[in-house]
Amino acid sequence: MATTTATLTLSSDMLSSPISISASSTLMKAGITEGLELIEMGRGTISEADASKTAEFGLGTALGVDKAAKLFLVNKATDPTYYIDVDIHDTNIGRLYAGDWMFIPWGINDVASEIVIEAEPAGATCPYEFALFQEPQTLVDHS
Amino acid sequence: MATTASISISSDITENVPFSVNASMTMYQAGTTLDLEETTGLAQRTFSGNTTQVVLIDVSANPAITAGAGGHKVYIRNTGTDKTKGFKIFLADATDDVEEIGTLYGQDWMLMPWLASDANEDIMVQPSSAEKMTIEYAVFHQ
Repeated sequence: MATTTATLTLSSDMLSSPISISASSTLMKAGITEGLELIEMGRGTISEADASKTAEFGLGTALGVDKAAKLFLVNKATDPTYYIDVDIHDTNIGRLYAGDWMFIPWGINDVASEIVIEAEPAGATCPYEFALFQEPQTLVDHS
Repeated sequence: MATTASISISSDITENVPFSVNASMTMYQAGTTLDLEETTGLAQRTFSGNTTQVVLIDVSANPAITAGAGGHKVYIRNTGTDKTKGFKIFLADATDDVEEIGTLYGQDWMLMPWLASDANEDIMVQPSSAEKMTIEYAVFHQ
């Protein structure tokens, strides 16, 4: 069985009693204890002139219903004012500013669950890297 | 007042080309290199006898967050160990349209940016089981 492990270390001294979080998860298929079997990774660049684009990875389809997936995405820009707006379909999750990363479970369960990215503000260019881990989607017969 | 987060992912899905990625970030205010200065602290909520979708993080309960789009970050973890049970995580947009993000099974965690520029942009969860399930979460915001 393939083993994929994601570990988080987070610390914050905002409070008088500092926050320290350590979390680790072995990424499994939905509802069972078998490891994810597909990996897709890469790098791209998006500029503000590109407007909003559907990300080229992990296109959602109905074949992904009830399948598990995890997405890692990082904005590799160095200008702190440059950010990537990240949407799932038409809902804006938030902004990945230069150096920010995100790691989320991703329900790739229909065509309206695609990840959409957009570089901002005017003139911004943001290199990014991604890694997508998922279980195989339902296979369909050749037609 | 620094808040930092590091991720390490390793995988042997591709047997001959082992994969690993490491990334670290300091959480800054939007468009600056000024540290985030506020947090909800680490919170925990336990569900029992409930499999309906409920609000976990209410934007309206955090007025400072809705002051405008910022560099907010949200951490959520399913503290259970049962990989057969999960929390579906949802996010609403300004028009109150709800989108599913994905499911956190036992021990799964997530860290994501959060726009939270409108009172409707709450984060909701839905337990898959009526049995006792616990989730922990924290918001780091401007």
